[in-house]
Amino acid sequence: MTAPLLEMKNISKRYGNIIALTDITTYVNSGEVTCILGDNGAGKSSLIKILAGAHQQSEGRLFVEGEEVMFDSPRDALERGIATVYQDLAVVPLMSVWRNFFLGSEPTKSFGPIRWIDTEAASRIAKEEMAKMGIDIRDTEQAVGTLSGGERQSVAIARAAYFGAKVLILDEPTSALGVRQSGVVLRYIIEAKHRGLGVIFITHNPNHAWPVGDRFLILNRGRSMGDFKKDEITRDELIMMMAGGAELEELTKELESASAGDEKLADMAEEFAEELEELEERAEHPD
Amino acid sequence: MKRARWIALGIALMMILAACTSDDGTDTTAADDGTATTEDVDLSQGADLTFHMVTHADDGVFWSVVKRGAEDAAAAMGVTLVWSPSFNDPEKQVQDIEAAIAAGTDGLAVSLASPEAVGPAAQAAADAGIPLYTINSGVLQYKGLGATTHVGQTEVVAGNGAGEFFNSLGATKVLCARQEQGNIGLEERCQGLEETFNGEVVSEFIGEDVDPTGQEATISSLLLADESIDGILGTGPNVAVRAVEACVTAGRTCSIGGFDISTDIINLIESGDIAFTVDQQQYLQGYLPIVLLFLEVTNLNTAGGGLPILTGPGFVTTANVGEVKALVDAGTR
Amino acid sequence: MSATESPPLENAALEEAAYGDERLAYRGPLLRLLTRPEIGALLGAAVIWVYFWLVSDVFGQAAGAANYLDVAATLGIMAVAVSLLMIGGEFDLSAGAMTGATGMLVILLVIPPGEFGGAGLSLWVAIPLTLAFALGVGWFNGTVVEKTGLLSFIVTLSTFFILIGAKLGFAKLFTAKVIVEGLDEGSGYDFWVKIFGAKWTRNDHIFDGRDTLFGFLMVIGFAAVFFGMLELSHTRRERFNATGLIVAAAGIAGALYGVWGLRHGFGFVVGASTDTVGSNWLYAAALALGVIVAAVGIGVWRFERVSDRGSFSLSGTSLRNIAIALGVILFGSFVAITLDSSSEDIVGFMLTVQGLRAIVFGFGAIVGVTLPVLVARKEGKRSPITKFVVMTGTSLVIVGLAFLIQSEATSRKFRAEVFAVLLLIALIFFVAGLMPLLFQGREAAHPAADRLGKMLAALGIGLFLGAVTIRLLYMTSEEAAATQAVFNYRISILWFIVFAVAASLVLMRTKFGNWTFAVGGNKKAAREVGVPAARTKTILFMTVSVAAFLVGMLLAFRLNSVQANVGNGQEFLYIIAAVVGGNLLSGGYGSAAGGALGALIMAMSFQGIPFAGWNSDWRFLFVGVILLLAVLVNNFVRKKAEEAE
Repeated sequence: MTAPLLEMKNISKRYGNIIALTDITTYVNSGEVTCILGDNGAGKSSLIKILAGAHQQSEGRLFVEGEEVMFDSPRDALERGIATVYQDLAVVPLMSVWRNFFLGSEPTKSFGPIRWIDTEAASRIAKEEMAKMGIDIRDTEQAVGTLSGGERQSVAIARAAYFGAKVLILDEPTSALGVRQSGVVLRYIIEAKHRGLGVIFITHNPNHAWPVGDRFLILNRGRSMGDFKKDEITRDELIMMMAGGAELEELTKELESASAGDEKLADMAEEFAEELEELEERAEHPD
Repeated sequence: MKRARWIALGIALMMILAACTSDDGTDTTAADDGTATTEDVDLSQGADLTFHMVTHADDGVFWSVVKRGAEDAAAAMGVTLVWSPSFNDPEKQVQDIEAAIAAGTDGLAVSLASPEAVGPAAQAAADAGIPLYTINSGVLQYKGLGATTHVGQTEVVAGNGAGEFFNSLGATKVLCARQEQGNIGLEERCQGLEETFNGEVVSEFIGEDVDPTGQEATISSLLLADESIDGILGTGPNVAVRAVEACVTAGRTCSIGGFDISTDIINLIESGDIAFTVDQQQYLQGYLPIVLLFLEVTNLNTAGGGLPILTGPGFVTTANVGEVKALVDAGTR
Repeated sequence: MSATESPPLENAALEEAAYGDERLAYRGPLLRLLTRPEIGALLGAAVIWVYFWLVSDVFGQAAGAANYLDVAATLGIMAVAVSLLMIGGEFDLSAGAMTGATGMLVILLVIPPGEFGGAGLSLWVAIPLTLAFALGVGWFNGTVVEKTGLLSFIVTLSTFFILIGAKLGFAKLFTAKVIVEGLDEGSGYDFWVKIFGAKWTRNDHIFDGRDTLFGFLMVIGFAAVFFGMLELSHTRRERFNATGLIVAAAGIAGALYGVWGLRHGFGFVVGASTDTVGSNWLYAAALALGVIVAAVGIGVWRFERVSDRGSFSLSGTSLRNIAIALGVILFGSFVAITLDSSSEDIVGFMLTVQGLRAIVFGFGAIVGVTLPVLVARKEGKRSPITKFVVMTGTSLVIVGLAFLIQSEATSRKFRAEVFAVLLLIALIFFVAGLMPLLFQGREAAHPAADRLGKMLAALGIGLFLGAVTIRLLYMTSEEAAATQAVFNYRISILWFIVFAVAASLVLMRTKFGNWTFAVGGNKKAAREVGVPAARTKTILFMTVSVAAFLVGMLLAFRLNSVQANVGNGQEFLYIIAAVVGGNLLSGGYGSAAGGALGALIMAMSFQGIPFAGWNSDWRFLFVGVILLLAVLVNNFVRKKAEEAE
């Protein structure tokens, strides 16, 4: 077996005396999706920053295709083929699709002393690349702002893929989107995977992670709750772990005690309790 | 408010620069103007006096000569002058007057371009017993405010003079071209023109001095739109200068008159392109109030006899342009 | 459990999401043209030109053009640069003061070191030094904004005050006056005055064949635009039908015969001085029929027959709109006939009887024609036959209006030129209604047809511009003998055009232009993908300074002297022009051409007011209204254009 595309071994990160990550180990292979799940504050963003080269790990080692690396800057990471697509910073909404697609790496042709953007080529390539992702952009002059939220993310994904990324790191690409739009993005993740990219998909939503992921790393308060292959875990176990079973139980109790005399809160507590029961049941008896 | 403070800071900087440069010019004037005796008598008193001149002045050609006059007089009298221009901002002018009163000024000269806004503050100074003179604008209000007298020109009278001049030039329809909107002084110049001029008068705002090419284009479009205009009175020196080129563009021969003095207008009068300019001799509007204040404070003299002291109109025409030119180059006309 | 066995619900959602609502309706090149930011300004400029053309005798002539172009040029150079900066997300409040500062600096560097100073340099040294100064100020603005992260509004406000203080201070320090003069004393003046101070005197350029060439170019231009529009808006046949080509040729021949016959009477086209449109009915009919036959011929030759003509029907709203249109037109016409066209009596609120008449009639005509066109557009999507009926009706109404104007108006302009233009519009409207009835409209992109159509349209517009330029630059000997006025076109106009074109190309076609949009639209995203945001913004600030340098040189070489306060406060006009031109105040959207058009609109408004004989006290009211309208129209156009259909 060849070395994984990107591998983390015992990564830890401290900011001063705050421990953000402890002993994280996982990897992503070419043509696979590794999902990193965790609630707010679980350490997802610290991990992204390390992988993207924005921060350096305090301990542990990173390997790209078996070779140990240390990223000093995002540019370093990019040069090794690791592209990060951030949730809200992905595109410039008022600019057209092709301008966004090639922003920062515009194809040019020389005419006399001046280098002009080759608009026809740019427009054509953008259209083709988007088509490979399954989006039919009829008019690449269209402003990205007029695209749906999912398509906007996909422009950024297609762009990263086109510019030679081997590993795509997607930071919460679905968190601001509705159900349908999330579906759009998930589809592009699958497309990217089929094209042989390694995808690290960061999300707090196990329902989004499950259908696309091959590997799941669950983070909680900077620690790994487990790193599973898809066949080592069920969807409901995943949901259960994500929700942090013990914590949910605690929350239910808290709500119950706080809700004495308050009907609404009492109802909510009841609902929580029911949900918890259901989850536990399903985790024990997978269908 | 921030803006006003910024302006004040800028002005302070300019004052320092201006103070450096005006030294060489003042010596000669001081020796010539016959105030040497007073200086001898009251030298010790004068050295302590501080007079404030709070005007609606801007950076233009006109006010720089007023300022020069005030500075020359202050140097000659041996008093300290505080020059506070407000750039046509009445609010700032009021603040400057209040600041002058608070600073315990020995005398105040105020221009009343906006009498409604600035009048009460000036009156407060007079009520506080501070000798007060109005300069440049305010001939109708100075008495009511308790000012000793007004030093300036009445705009209507100046306009009257221009009207008569156009009569003598044989013009039939004169464009009164104004460089500011809503400035009562400029409107009065046009009104004065209308009173004495035998033909028709059109009064128009033609754009501000900060946009000279725009002014030229607007005058020429007015000429193209109305073929009967054969005279132009610019209510400022720059307007008259712009009118020369505008007439060429419109293919007209016009009689052109202007107000006030600049190097350009003098040169064009010399070359015959401009017929005349109404000179309100603004150097006097800076110089005289300082002298009058000095005499009022030190000698209890009150000049004017209850009437305004007029500094104009004087006319600069081809006849006297040569002599005036030398003085203009020296920055005192 | 493997990936393929994931719950069916999610698979369905994925499928639907990917193929469901992500397709967009076809938007033709014409509709896409409306998404250009400067389109509102282009329409605005046209409306304002037409308006002042109607109310003033001089405005529409070369004298008027020389006048407003002069004002537009210096304003426009700055507005274009400010537009670029605004697209990049920043402001420069020091831009106005910079124009005066550079003009002053070059004079101070050149005048001989005398009693007060002056550096006595050659212009060959002084001009590069001044340019370096300008670049330095721009660099300073950009660097401070970028390094500190302060608002450019505040930083450049400081620069503004520093500059006005320095201008005044140094002017007094060196010349003891607030004005510096004597640029022509510098060595090298004779050369540089050609670069910055040259002018084209129209009276010295006589070209008697001007009107023939003008008419020729206009006709070819019209034909090219016409053909281009047809090509863009119809579906091509698979194989062309040569019969149609013959019909088209016959039509074109007829139209040309008409134009040839009308060349004296068709005052608008060739500027002839006769008022004889009415006596040339044969030629007019030949022209009209020729155009219609040519259009149909081209259709038969190249386009598919329409598949479904629909049936005639009007919705309730459409009926109501048409009723309103007819109502206002009838009322307007009634007012035009009853009221006295020469009465200067005041009816109230400073309005004369003739003014009221013009306003009511004009308003009636515009509303009465616009409403049915909107109805035709809406109903035409379903039913070409309805579109045809409504458009034909509208064109008949326009013909009626044309004749009403001809019989009621007293001036030659209305009797001949307005009359002819209205008939031409009626003809175009008729053809626009007829073509969809016969041929299939376009529902999908067709690269070859789109390319040809765009090329023809561009060629036609180029020919129009060429024709107008020739008309403006040259005089016939007849005109030269009749006028005393000397029309000078200053070199500033040429600089303006060069600058605007260069800025447009840079913005639309270079990396730097792309980065400009990006740093203004979403700076973080731009940085994320490797755009050097700080450098881009600094260069934009420097571009504004260079524009100010250019305007400063144009001023200095024109006036030979520069007063300390020149340019102060003008930066607001630049910003207004940029906004009127469709540039977004918050950055990220706009165009250089928009800034140029915005400047043209401002200049035409400023200069149109005296031409129209209004009191200039209304000047700023007019500017305010235009600004407001422009912002509203731009907003509306952009929203409309971006609406996913």
